Amino acid sequence: MSDAKLLKDIIVAIATLIDEGTFEITPEAINLREMDPSRVAMVDFQWSKSLFDEYNCSQPTKICINITEMLKLLKRAGKGDSVELTLDEERRRLNIKLRGKYVRTFSMPILEAAVEEVPTPKITFNVKAKITTDGIKEAIEDAALVSDHVSIEANEEELIMRAEGDIMGATIEMRKGEGALLDLEVKEPSKATFSLSYLSDIIKAASATSEISTIEFSTDMPIKIDFPIREGKLTYFLAPRIEA
Amino acid sequence: MLIRKVKKKRINRVLNPWIRDLIDDYKVAGDLGVSSNLSVRLGKEVCVVCKGSRLLCGKTRCPLLLRVSYYLKTMPMIRERDLSGSSPPGVFIGRIGYPYVYAGPLVPPINEDTTVFDLPEFWFGKTIDEIVGFRSMLVRGMHRVNVRKPERADKILDLTRDLALSSLCVDVELKFKDRPKKRIVLSDDVQPFGPSALINHMNIDSSKWDRRIEKAYYDGDLKASEAVLYLYDQGVLVSRIQRAFSVGAFGIEKQRRLVPTRWSITAVDSIISNDLIDKIKGYPEINEFRVYESTYLDNRFVVLMVPGKWSYESMEAWYPGTIWNPYSGFTVMLSDWEGYHGRTEYAKIGGCYYSARLAVAEKLAEERRQATVIVLREARPGYIMPVGVWQVRENVRNAMRQRPMKFDSLEEALAWIRGRLHIPLEKWIENSDLLRSLIYQRRITQYLKGLKT
Repeated sequence: MSDAKLLKDIIVAIATLIDEGTFEITPEAINLREMDPSRVAMVDFQWSKSLFDEYNCSQPTKICINITEMLKLLKRAGKGDSVELTLDEERRRLNIKLRGKYVRTFSMPILEAAVEEVPTPKITFNVKAKITTDGIKEAIEDAALVSDHVSIEANEEELIMRAEGDIMGATIEMRKGEGALLDLEVKEPSKATFSLSYLSDIIKAASATSEISTIEFSTDMPIKIDFPIREGKLTYFLAPRIEA
Repeated sequence: MLIRKVKKKRINRVLNPWIRDLIDDYKVAGDLGVSSNLSVRLGKEVCVVCKGSRLLCGKTRCPLLLRVSYYLKTMPMIRERDLSGSSPPGVFIGRIGYPYVYAGPLVPPINEDTTVFDLPEFWFGKTIDEIVGFRSMLVRGMHRVNVRKPERADKILDLTRDLALSSLCVDVELKFKDRPKKRIVLSDDVQPFGPSALINHMNIDSSKWDRRIEKAYYDGDLKASEAVLYLYDQGVLVSRIQRAFSVGAFGIEKQRRLVPTRWSITAVDSIISNDLIDKIKGYPEINEFRVYESTYLDNRFVVLMVPGKWSYESMEAWYPGTIWNPYSGFTVMLSDWEGYHGRTEYAKIGGCYYSARLAVAEKLAEERRQATVIVLREARPGYIMPVGVWQVRENVRNAMRQRPMKFDSLEEALAWIRGRLHIPLEKWIENSDLLRSLIYQRRITQYLKGLKT
């Protein structure tokens, strides 16, 4: 792959939820779908082989990797470095070769892969909103000033986020077609509440991958946050908080 | 560095002469057995009105009189400007003026086996009178040193270190610059110990070091945190590790520092529990809801363990009239918590956060299980004065030794807890991040099964 930064950004986005992850590598694509340790959030990632300059995979395989460690290595990549990942089946190691002004090869162990396969939640979403990533990031930061959770609601015209803390409150309104809110489709008005620590971690970590993001939700159901990336997908699911 | 400045709640101290008046009163002075003049610094106006008789502060006994009475028992045993006695061993490193602090030995004016005086692991179950009784016999020798140069200091510091690493009582002789001051500082955040005085000469009998601590001391390439973990693994008592840690006995040779006693306690609790938590994260989750409980010195601890990944919250409620909440009319609740990945800031509730964390982590590591843990503490009016965070560590350790109540659901566990605490459950939930998250936060897994339409 010609740009190590692209890989680093994706690993940053994944590492925010999980320490270890299992990549499924098929002749067509790389997939990863994992829940965070407390099973509140899920990341679903895919990169098709067309993204890579060179992609060889003769038979499907699964490799479990310590994502946190991998991120440490990738952070060493300089601007414009290219990266090459190879799997050493015999030694059960993943080699990461960074090619810049000189060539560095790191190797890291492959861990025992988990057998269980997680499906993604099947939910009928009643609201779909397209927002600039910067816009949603700012809004979440605003809400995080006053509380640890935020309710998101939508009607035909606008998307409203409300945060209610012990002493302070915040309301953030985004009108359709104005500024940050690029598009809004509402089948029926909906409202759900989410933990801000998860939301802000996810959005902060994924913000480097895409300039726009799509959120989908329904009343008291998980929210789906989608970051359109080149030749693949990066999607998060976050379970709601339901009070009383 | 793990060592951070410990922020403690503290009330303003104003000079209040009433207790001197009290002691000057010949009747009271007779009761207390005092004849000499004594100056006292202490807390707020309410004491002036109460004068130890009406318990206006809401405590069940006057902490001031308790301390004064023991103090007055100790004073006559100290003659003139020298003292010889058998140190537990014990040392105290102050924090005022950091990095130039007062360090020195704790020596009682008696020559018998005093080992237990500085080993909180053996204090659990003792009454507050007993603890204050033997603690106030410990005279604190003070010697000003720069914490950055523990190895290049003078003889007094060398001897203090020698003493701190000893595994048995050591006979110590001290010569003071002046007679130990007849002054009681009634600050609420210092654990009780006796009078203190500057020392200008110190001598100790030969000490016998703990073999394991000695090994860590002479290893100049072993990091301080690694030394702590090594010793803990070897079964050395936490309070002994902490004592050696405070005199700068561990660490890379050139980086050794003296660590004020107060900070060293938390540093050691934190280093050990962090290591245990790393292990715990690899273990399977518990599969029932458990409630543990222990009460000591009118501090009730209720510990809730929930199946789930490691996370931890420590909450405390201070009744009106208890140490940290003397003057308000309502109960104050404080909470601090960490998620799976731990925390990066010092917990605002202080050292007890880390002491309780050590106690619960020990239990889970021993069982090779993982859980979400919530520690609830009610400090009730009978807890008249602080005795140190060891109380939290040993109290929670005691809770962990009990057979827990086991439940199948969070609701049942909470219903049980409701009956074990004075403060309504709703108050706890309102103030607890983890409890609210457990009750209100849904899991993704709930949307995977049965909902596939």
